[in-house]
Formats: sequence, structure tokens, C-alpha cells
Amino acid sequence: MFDPYYLQQLAIGLSQGVIYALMAIGFTLIFGVLNVVNFAHGEVYTVGAFAGLLLITAFAPPFLVVLFVVLAVGAALGFGLERIAFKPFRRFSDEASLKSRAMRESTLMSSLAVSIVAREGLEIAFGSQMQTLPFEYLINKPIAIGPVTIVTGDVIIFVVAALMLGGLQYLLTKTRVGLSIRAVSANPLGAKYVGIDTDRTIVTTFAIGSMMGAGAGILVGLYYGAIFPAMGFVPGIKAFVAMVMGGLSSIPGAVICALLLGLSEGLATTFISSNWADMVAYGFLIVTLIFFPQGLFGAGRERV
Amino acid sequence: MSLLEIENVTRRFGGLVAVDDVTTRVEAGELVGLIGPNGAGKTTLFNLISGFTALTSGAVRFKGAAIDGSKPHVIAARGMSRTFQNLRVFPNMSVFDNVSVGSVGAMGQSAFAAVFGRRGRSDAISARTWEALERVGLAEQSEELAANLSYGKRKYLEIARALAMRPDLLILDEPAAGLNDSETAELARFIRTLNDDGLAVMLVEHDMNLVMGICSRVVVLASGRKIADAEPAVVRADPAVLEAYLGVDE
Amino acid sequence: MSEITRKGWVVPVLLLVLVFAVAPFTLAQFGKGYFFQVANLVLIFSLLAVSLHLVTGVAGLLHLGHAAFYGIGAYVAALMGTDLKLGFLWGLPAAGLVAALFALVVALPTMRLVSIYFAVATLAIGQMINTVLLNWVAVTKGPNGVMLFSGIKLFGFAVKGPLAVYFVVAVVVVASIWVLHRLSHSYYGNALRSLREDDQCADAMGIDTVRLKIEVFTLSAFFAGLAGALWAYTTGYVSPGDFNFSNSILILAMVVVGGLGSLPGAIVGAVLLILLPEVLRGLGDLRNVMVGLVMFVSILFLPKGLFGEVSALAFVRRNLGVKWGAAPSEREVGWR
Repeated sequence: MFDPYYLQQLAIGLSQGVIYALMAIGFTLIFGVLNVVNFAHGEVYTVGAFAGLLLITAFAPPFLVVLFVVLAVGAALGFGLERIAFKPFRRFSDEASLKSRAMRESTLMSSLAVSIVAREGLEIAFGSQMQTLPFEYLINKPIAIGPVTIVTGDVIIFVVAALMLGGLQYLLTKTRVGLSIRAVSANPLGAKYVGIDTDRTIVTTFAIGSMMGAGAGILVGLYYGAIFPAMGFVPGIKAFVAMVMGGLSSIPGAVICALLLGLSEGLATTFISSNWADMVAYGFLIVTLIFFPQGLFGAGRERV
Repeated sequence: MSLLEIENVTRRFGGLVAVDDVTTRVEAGELVGLIGPNGAGKTTLFNLISGFTALTSGAVRFKGAAIDGSKPHVIAARGMSRTFQNLRVFPNMSVFDNVSVGSVGAMGQSAFAAVFGRRGRSDAISARTWEALERVGLAEQSEELAANLSYGKRKYLEIARALAMRPDLLILDEPAAGLNDSETAELARFIRTLNDDGLAVMLVEHDMNLVMGICSRVVVLASGRKIADAEPAVVRADPAVLEAYLGVDE
Repeated sequence: MSEITRKGWVVPVLLLVLVFAVAPFTLAQFGKGYFFQVANLVLIFSLLAVSLHLVTGVAGLLHLGHAAFYGIGAYVAALMGTDLKLGFLWGLPAAGLVAALFALVVALPTMRLVSIYFAVATLAIGQMINTVLLNWVAVTKGPNGVMLFSGIKLFGFAVKGPLAVYFVVAVVVVASIWVLHRLSHSYYGNALRSLREDDQCADAMGIDTVRLKIEVFTLSAFFAGLAGALWAYTTGYVSPGDFNFSNSILILAMVVVGGLGSLPGAIVGAVLLILLPEVLRGLGDLRNVMVGLVMFVSILFLPKGLFGEVSALAFVRRNLGVKWGAAPSEREVGWR
């Protein structure tokens, strides 16, 4: 029979994977629409967590209020980020420059620059060490399921992730906003010609994607009980890896790959050591890039 | 032995047969035109010859050696240079630097030679670049960025870059696309002078007048198949060609 | 043209005088080791920026893991110096060669990837190397880093004092930058530029694009490795934190701020981004925020950089290009 210890590790890996998935959804959404990499996504996650911390220490509101305020902060961050780091580089709106390498690379570097400023700014404001969140807010009360113990956070994160994913699918397939997002993703210029406000659609996408990033940030903060300015970097890269593995613009693909990534890191932690767990993600990325350049789910590829 | 021999060349993309069992050749010093209606497989055939697309079956020989399956740069280094349908110059490089890439591609310059090499090789590359620039009349604009040239000039720049390789066969993919009548006539005269100097040229063209006016032989493709391969006068009278071009009014 | 021929030596001589006479003399007046340390840092990062310039600016490959190869060089030099008792003269070339070897192994499978995928792959490789430096405690001593006390010895003579060390660093950096200058300002450099502009088209021009990309990536890593060895010997201490992602970005920022494709620009960027935080030291720990801000402002307002490629190439052609001989004819836009 299975040693419950391994089941426990699998559960930990899975919950890690769900966190990566939350990040990856926002990342993939933005990539799918603009075809650009948003390097500042990890910082949105961090800022979301810090916004939650400030809110809790200042007003001590109920958990759901914290979550919703952080989501609003995330949306605002996405809006600002798009205006600062992406819009100035969409100087021309023809197809060639919207999909041009120059635009992609300059926005990649501008979002990178913004992420450096945000991270280092937080370090100046809060110091680089861990900030602890008030104990009563933490979502780590243990729940025993047979031989495996999970915590409330696992359930909450899983539920929130499922809600977000379901909500997003509903939004994308059933609403007007979603329709324009999909249209811009498929062909920005064509969308413009049929009367879609592409600029507004893009900024909306950023707001939605960043909302998810910020939500993930506060949930993870409450799950581990500690946050720090550089906390967004590693999950940001993992989300990136999941996105590439999932085929770059497929949200379900990215989610599955994020879960896989979390699980394999859990296994790596069990069998090797947690220090080397990161190698798994990077190794996966390199292998995917070399052997499956279309992503693991490239065949049934869909945009956004 | 012909300069370029194309034997039973076929290329399928899934169910679509883009080029279907085409056999033809280009002799040294010949000027051959390749025409056909849209979607006839002209550009695909060009890509098959120059190594950008792999053959499904058949064989291509250049100067007697099989080149099918070779990489584009290998084929280019053997003396076949090409231009592209949608005008691909290096926009952020000067006119001189653009053309010098053709010279370097043909002559080679290793990293070691670039650092420690003597001047001989560099001077030879430079001389060859100037020769090509003067040939197309762009020597005066050598320091201009390619992106700043007019559309017509960029066409000549692309040809100069191909000429800098001193090819034995120059293949031009729709060189007259986007040019007006007088520019097309000038280009036709220019291609003629290249051929008069002994360079074999193969050109894909939509513009029937250009092809009929300067080519010594015309190959006609329709739906991937070769339907005619003869002198312009013969091709012009061929009922199969007229049928393929029905509605194109030429 | 004779006027240009006469002027050809002026700028190189001025630069050499600046690096080997004016700078050390001025620094010696202050009499502080700290100033020499900053000067060494400027030189080392100039070399890093110029080596990245070759890959990212000239050949157009967005490389987000350059600091990892710099780190390999530093660790090789430091570990050879401590564990194997092989000094600077062994450590320096070994650092470059090992870094280049790693780059070659990495480049072979990844060079076929295009633009953004390549950038992601280099990021992952940089992170992997950094993870190894951090966790392979048996060899790299892990997060504690490696102390290198032996100092630089040249042919049995110990190089003592900050001035002497500065000269050693300056000689290595200047010679390396000269090589990189020859590479980027040559017909070889033009072939690299064609990769950046349109690699498929370059292929049709007879250029073996994949091989050339692998070559330039490896060469660049070699010089990053040399810079690493210089870092190890000037600071006497290497630790994984000095070679992480933010350092890769710092080097990239230098290249971007100076102007992609511009060698003098890369040096300007390195000088600016090293000196600016030192000058602003009084304002507190703003160094890294400055890097981000300077990078952002320059991408937004100076997309061509402080010393853009077009003007940089014109400058090099006018002031350095003729140094290796007179023109064969009136025409002389080319390199020689």
C-alpha cells in the first residue's frame, strides 16, 4: 500500500500547482490577447499580497472583504501597468507593428523595468525580510482526510481557483467583453475594423489578468503566513513555464501544466530535496521548448 | 549537363499537391520565366529549389550535384542566389552593409579572421560589395539605411545583395510586384543586361509582358502541374495556357 | 580621405590614455581602495555589457541569463585558486573556456528557438546554473560562497596594491573589448546583424545561421567568463547572489540604455549604471530602483539608446575604422 507520507506530499504538490495555475491564468490571458510577455505579473502578485497586509493591519476587515479589496487593487494595478508599460509601445495600430518583434521585445523590457522598480520600491518601503500576517487571518487550520492532512487554505485556494477559471470561461465564451477579448486575440486589426475598441479590450484583459494575480498573492500570503518583496519572482517564472508548456495561449493547457508542475515539484521535494525542486520547472521548460515547441497541448490549440 | 535540373519534383501540403511532378531545367546563361495563375505553385517551386521547403519526391540537381535536402545556405553558397516575393532587405542596416552580407555569405569570414585576419579578405569583400552596388546604381546611397530607401530602390538593393554572391543562377521571385509600368520596363532592361553578361536568371512573374518580353523560354504552371515549357511565342499561342489564364486577359 | 587616415589613431589613443593614465592617476590622488574597486567594477561590467551587446545588440538574441556565465567564470577562477592552487594565469583562461563550453552545450539545442522562446530558455538556463551554484554545496560551498585570498600573481610576482590590480583588470578588459570590437565591427559583424534583421533571408545569402548563433553565444560567454575571473580576483569573494537574474537584467539594461547594437553605447550604459548608484549612495539604497527607472525611461524616450547603433557605427567607421590600414580606393564605407 501507499505510504500516507507520499499522499501527503502529493497533496502539498497539488496545492502548490493550484497556486501556479492561478498565476498562469492571468499570465496566459494577457499573452493570448497581446502576444506579449508581461514580466511584471509576479510583482502584481506581490503587490496584491502587500495590499492585503496593509488592509489587514489597518482595518482588520473580514476575510472576504480583504479578498475583494485585493482583487480591486489588482484590477487597478493591471490598468496602470498596461498604461505605463504597454500602451506607449503600441504606437501604430497596424497588424505588422501589433505583432512585431520590436513591440514584443520593447514591452518585455518595459514590463521588466516596471517589475524591478516595483520590487525594489517595496524593498525600500518594507525591507527585504519576511513580513508576517496576523495569525487569525491565516488559512492553515488543519483538516484530516483519512491519512492525509490538508489545511483550510488548500480548500480555499482550490475553490477560488476553480471559481476564477469557471468565471473566466464564462466571461470569455458567454459575454460581450469575452467576445471582444477573443476577437482581439485572434486578430487585433480585424477586431478594430469591425468596431471593437481594441484599446479598451486590452486594458480590460490586463485588469482581469492582474486581478487573478493579486488574488493569488494574498491567498498565498495567508496560506504561508509570510510575505516579502521578492515573493513574486519564482511563482512568476513558474507561471511562465506553465504557459509555455501549455502551448502559450491555451488557458486550460496552462492550468493543467501548472498542476503538473506543482505535483512534480512536490515529488522532487520528496525524493531529492526542496533546494533542487526549482530545477524541475526549468528542466521542464527547456525540454518542452526543445521537444514540444508548440507546447504539450499544442495540437488542440485554441487562442485564449 | 544543365545548370539546374528539376526532375519529377512534387510537394504535398497535407492533401494539397502544391507542386505536382514538375520536370524542367535551366541552362547556363539562360533567362527562364516561370508563370502561372495565382496558387499555381510558382513560389513553392522556388522554395523547393532554394532549399526553403523540403521535397516530397523528385530530385533537384545544381551544377550536376544533388541539392535537394540541402539547407538554403549550402545551396546559396554553391552559387544560387534568390530574392523574395515580399521584399526582404535588412531594414536597420545601411545599403552597403546589406549588400556586404551577400559578399560575406559567398566568401565567408570566420570570427578568428574578423579579429586577427589580414586585410586581404576584408578588402575583397568590400570590393565585391562595391561592384554589386555600382551594378544596380546604388553606390551613391551606400550609407543610407535600407529602411529609408524608396520601394523601387529596395528592389534593386535586394538584387544587389544577391549579385554580391556572384551567383551562377539568380532566381527572382516576382521582382516587378508593386512597380509601375515604367519601373517594370526599366527592371526588365536591367535583368536583360544581367543575362547579357552571361548570368543565368530564372524569374517568377505575374506580369506576362515582362516575362514574354525578355525571357528566352517560359515555363507555365497551373495547379502545380507544368502545362507548357517553350519559347514565348509558342507559349502565347498554346491553348492550354490560354485556358489556364482564362479571365486573366493577357 | 587622407584627413580621415591621419585622424584614425586619435580616438583609440585618447581612450587608452584615459584608461591607463588619467583614470588611475586621478584615483590614486584620492588614495582610497574603494575608488579603485568602483573603477574595477566599471571595467568588469563594461566587458560584460560589450559581450552581451554582441549577442543581444548585434545578433539580436535576447539573452536573459548572461550573469550565469559570468558566475561560472567567477567560480571556476575562485575554485581553481583555492582548491587547486592554480593562480590567476591559469584561472583567467580557464574561466573563459569553461563558461564558453557551458554556453556551447546549452546553445546546441536551444539556438533553433526563435525570439521570445529563446529569451525564456536563456532565463531558465540562467536560473538553473544559479540553482546549481546555490545548492551544490560540496563544490561551490553553497550560499556561503568562496573566499579567494591568494590575490593575483603574474609569473611569480605578486600584484599588490589597488593600482597594480587595476592595471591588470584594465589590460584584460581593454584587450577583450578590442577583440569584441573587431568582431562586431567587421563583415563578420554584418553577418551577425543580418541574423537580427531577418535570419531566413540571411540563410538565403549563404550564411549558416544556426552555426553563427551558436558561435556568437559561445564567444560572448567566453568573455563573460573572463569578467567573472576578474571579479573573483578583485573582490576576493564570490557568492551565488552576485550572478542571479537581477544581474543578468542589470547587464541587459546597460546594453539597452546605451543602445542596442552599439558597442560604445554598451560601455556608456555600463559606466552610467555602475557610477550612478555610487554617486547617489547618499540617497540610500536606491541602486536597483535606479536601474529599473533608467531602463524604463530610456526604452520609452530613447528607444535607440544614448548612443544609437547608427551613430555608433558612423563614429567607429570615422574614428577607428581606418586604423588597420588605408583605403584601397576612394570608397571606404566598409570595415577593415
